[in-house]
Amino acid sequence: MKNLKRILCLALCLMLTLACLPAMAAGSVKIGVLVADATGAEALAFRAYYEKYIAKAYDVEFIYSEELKTADGEKDAIDNFIVNNCKAVISFSSVDRPAQIEQCETAGIYYAVATGTLTDEEYEDFKNYEHYVGAIGPSLNTEFQVGYNMAAYYIDQGMTKFGMFGGAVPYRTDMHIYRAAGMLCAMVDKGGEGAAYQGVNKPDDIIGMIYGTGTIETGKIGNLELLAYVGGYDFDDAWFGKLAQMAGTEGIEAILTVGSGVDVLGSFVAGSSVKLATVDSFTPAMGEAMNSGIIDYVAGKFATSIGPIFIATLNAVNGQPIRNEEGCALALDQGYWVATNAEQFAQYYAVDSSEENPAYSKDILDAYAPAGVSYEDFAAFVAQYSFEEITALKK
Amino acid sequence: MKKPSLIKSLLLSLLIPCAVLLVLEIIALAKGVRLFANTDSWKLFFRAVANVTLTTFALSVNLDSGRFDFSLGAVAMLSATIAGTLSQQWNMGPWLTLAVAVCVAAGLGLIHGGIYVLTRIPPIIVSLGMALFYEGCAFAFTGGKGVSLVTRMDIIGFSQIGNYILVTAVAVMLVVLLLDYTRFGANYRALVSGQKIAVETGIHEVGNALGCYVVSGALMGVVGFIGMANTGSQQMALNFGSIGIMFTAFLPMFIGGWIGRYINKRIGIMLGAVSMALISLAYARFDTASSVQSIISALLLVLFLIYLNNEFAILSKFRKKQGAKA
Amino acid sequence: MGKQTWKERIPAFASILGLMVLIAAYYIVGAIRDANVAYGLKAIVNQSVVVALVATGAVFIYTLGSFDISLGAATGVSALLGAMAYNATGNLLVMFLVCVGVAVVLGFINSSLASIFNLPIFVTTVAMMSVLSAFMLILIGWNGAGDTIKVKARDVRPLDNIPFKVAILAAYIALCWFVFTLLPTGREAKFTGGNPVCARLSGINEKKLGIIASLISAVGIGLGAFVTIIYAPTLTKDTASSIGMDVIIAIVFGGMPVSGGPRSRILSAVVGAFSMGFMTQIMSMLNLGSGYGQMIKAAIFLLVVFIALGSQRGKLLTR
Repeated sequence: MKNLKRILCLALCLMLTLACLPAMAAGSVKIGVLVADATGAEALAFRAYYEKYIAKAYDVEFIYSEELKTADGEKDAIDNFIVNNCKAVISFSSVDRPAQIEQCETAGIYYAVATGTLTDEEYEDFKNYEHYVGAIGPSLNTEFQVGYNMAAYYIDQGMTKFGMFGGAVPYRTDMHIYRAAGMLCAMVDKGGEGAAYQGVNKPDDIIGMIYGTGTIETGKIGNLELLAYVGGYDFDDAWFGKLAQMAGTEGIEAILTVGSGVDVLGSFVAGSSVKLATVDSFTPAMGEAMNSGIIDYVAGKFATSIGPIFIATLNAVNGQPIRNEEGCALALDQGYWVATNAEQFAQYYAVDSSEENPAYSKDILDAYAPAGVSYEDFAAFVAQYSFEEITALKK
Repeated sequence: MKKPSLIKSLLLSLLIPCAVLLVLEIIALAKGVRLFANTDSWKLFFRAVANVTLTTFALSVNLDSGRFDFSLGAVAMLSATIAGTLSQQWNMGPWLTLAVAVCVAAGLGLIHGGIYVLTRIPPIIVSLGMALFYEGCAFAFTGGKGVSLVTRMDIIGFSQIGNYILVTAVAVMLVVLLLDYTRFGANYRALVSGQKIAVETGIHEVGNALGCYVVSGALMGVVGFIGMANTGSQQMALNFGSIGIMFTAFLPMFIGGWIGRYINKRIGIMLGAVSMALISLAYARFDTASSVQSIISALLLVLFLIYLNNEFAILSKFRKKQGAKA
Repeated sequence: MGKQTWKERIPAFASILGLMVLIAAYYIVGAIRDANVAYGLKAIVNQSVVVALVATGAVFIYTLGSFDISLGAATGVSALLGAMAYNATGNLLVMFLVCVGVAVVLGFINSSLASIFNLPIFVTTVAMMSVLSAFMLILIGWNGAGDTIKVKARDVRPLDNIPFKVAILAAYIALCWFVFTLLPTGREAKFTGGNPVCARLSGINEKKLGIIASLISAVGIGLGAFVTIIYAPTLTKDTASSIGMDVIIAIVFGGMPVSGGPRSRILSAVVGAFSMGFMTQIMSMLNLGSGYGQMIKAAIFLLVVFIALGSQRGKLLTR
């Protein structure tokens, strides 16, 4: 009984001590962040930008959810943010965006979408909600274009035999399906007369086919050929076997991946002449892989790309939401930075990862998106997302 | 009961892996695919044998004593993470990195066992807590970034058939030696078959349990390193994301138990792992969809268990039919 | 054998003491962090009720000394099929009946396989978990609407309220308590879990008990699936995936021995589920990083379990 009492007291003291520590470091404005991926390089880069730069620069506190895979998880996380008196939610999780928006509207807290967009129908439903800030991120058309440009880059170099890693295509994840469809459409467009993927050559039909089957079929696409395809994230022996098989397929010239290219295929293509292209983020490990020739093409959402949606959210919290003339919320597209050689990558990484002066620094955000900024000016600012444009803005 | 002859024992031991191989070769023939098409196929096969053998040993060394362990994957992940990070910082070669992974993993197993024996919490619960703790450790250790060794050709060059065979052979030998030819093993087997009596005869259960956790950890350290060397990276997992590896060990464990009637149980587990590796190879060669793989694997497990738990009844019926025909 | 003194009774209430400590910590941490603790209580009910429902039914299985790891996958499949049934018929009663019916069928399959073929129930549920998880992916593919199966939120919103969910939970707990405490089934289950050999020799039919336990548990799974749809009507392949682990943790937090037997209690599941809910809220308010947060969560988990199982330490190591 005595021991039990001691243990209970100890536990309580431990918790109280722990509770005090973050309270001392808390910012004046709490913003909840819904996270779909807690361990990926891109997600960690985003978090580092918010926690190591933005939180200090703007005296805000970010409260992160756990990794969310379900709609009830998203709902629970938003409830937790409300309990913590968050003034706004920035969402990287897209299982049920309409439900998230409704929940925030009911609770009277602001809601913003980062690195993504609503569908046209969803935007029409929610654009006039008082607490819906808007969405800034790559639209599905942009995702399609990323895949298209990736495939086109290699086809234009004369390559004809490809492999493809489909990532979350079997799970019907929109982003990966559109990237994969973009790759296939590039092959159809550049595959010569009569080129088609499984008998279809229109983007909508190809996208529909991928949604329907949940996979991508290998075969000829005009005078090009998709020799191998692997999808999913099984991480078992059979899956690694398929990846090794794809990398070792005779005649394969380039492997196009919708994401995680280095993590899943890096060791299998290392030392070979197979080119590896991926959609990923700018990290030191990616830079090393590019230097050593393992990865050849990286299309990345730069870490600080979530700066504009943050400042828009903060402006809304401070009573100055950015609305267009009809009073509608933001719906702005944002694209990727593409590095095709080590020098370019190093240049992008230096700007993207800087903790003192990142791409979207406080100076830039305050200069181009101050409180009261008009929709048009803000949209023009967000549209200048390429590396060269941002560098020019900083000057 | 008359013990079967050596030849008969060997034949019965090889029955399951040979039967699996035969069936898969027939399917491969029908599909116009070769099971062992090239070096990559052999590499996949031997890597799977190594992974499954070691994981099954790690699971069974505790499970046979009624101690469930969900933390195997977390131990593999954390030990590989620490070893990989040190390898990057100190430019350690593959064998030294492997040794560090094994030592770290053994230490993690010792901590796990220590918490179990001190708190007397049911082992399955301790393993859940330790799985969460080790996952969190690995994440905190690397800031969530994991380890990337993809440019280290020496580390990823470890992924050779010869190394997989060597690692598997050494692990099998050591485990057989430890559990069948040492006092530790004798005590272990006594505790498995009768815990109360064994303790009352003076067997030090706490020391034996700690030893089992250390062995289990060390084996998973090898698994973690093999995985990291294969992909050139170690990814992080949170919220029980690492526990899936444990479930791959059940079927080989039961197959090993059946084969163990004819030869040494640990060799039986290895042969069970060979059977599973052939199936994994077939999934890769036949490009089987993930959901189909899950269903087939689950069905195989259930069907084998149905046979195992009703073997006497099935064989009796079979013999009666034979008798009736005669 | 005399009456127990109050000191001897304390260990039986260790789990409730653990819950009270967590509630106290919740309020204290909430006060320091300036949190909306009243809203948090509502969030805790929402977050705990599904686990409480499934765990309450699972007590029957755990009491027998068995183990079911497929609870989450079964809840997920029941929810997906329930949602598809609603989309086809527009009828909430049909959705409810499909949720419970599918869960009962799955429970029956599990227990029948185990009893007819003498399979260890745990391994059967491991296999079932794989099959059901794969089936969820197939269902979503069949549905043909991307990576989710959705029920219109406005159709279920009237039911998404605390009184309704608490009423379902209370009714199910009452049913389970009645069966577990007042009917021979409960006593036989505790006897079987405590000493299977004696139970068998006393004439208790273990297989029949296993089937009954699975069916009662399945009702809880079906109710959990129904409440899941009401709460968050967009379902994915990962819906309810964490429930299997959450149930084990809840039952242990509630002070029930994992090996079952005479110390099993229906209310352990509810106490444990809400203990987990409070702990999750506390961790959220502490706002630690993912890695350190999980380490602290694990440490607190082991500490709470240590407190809740305080009286069950013997000479032999637990198995």
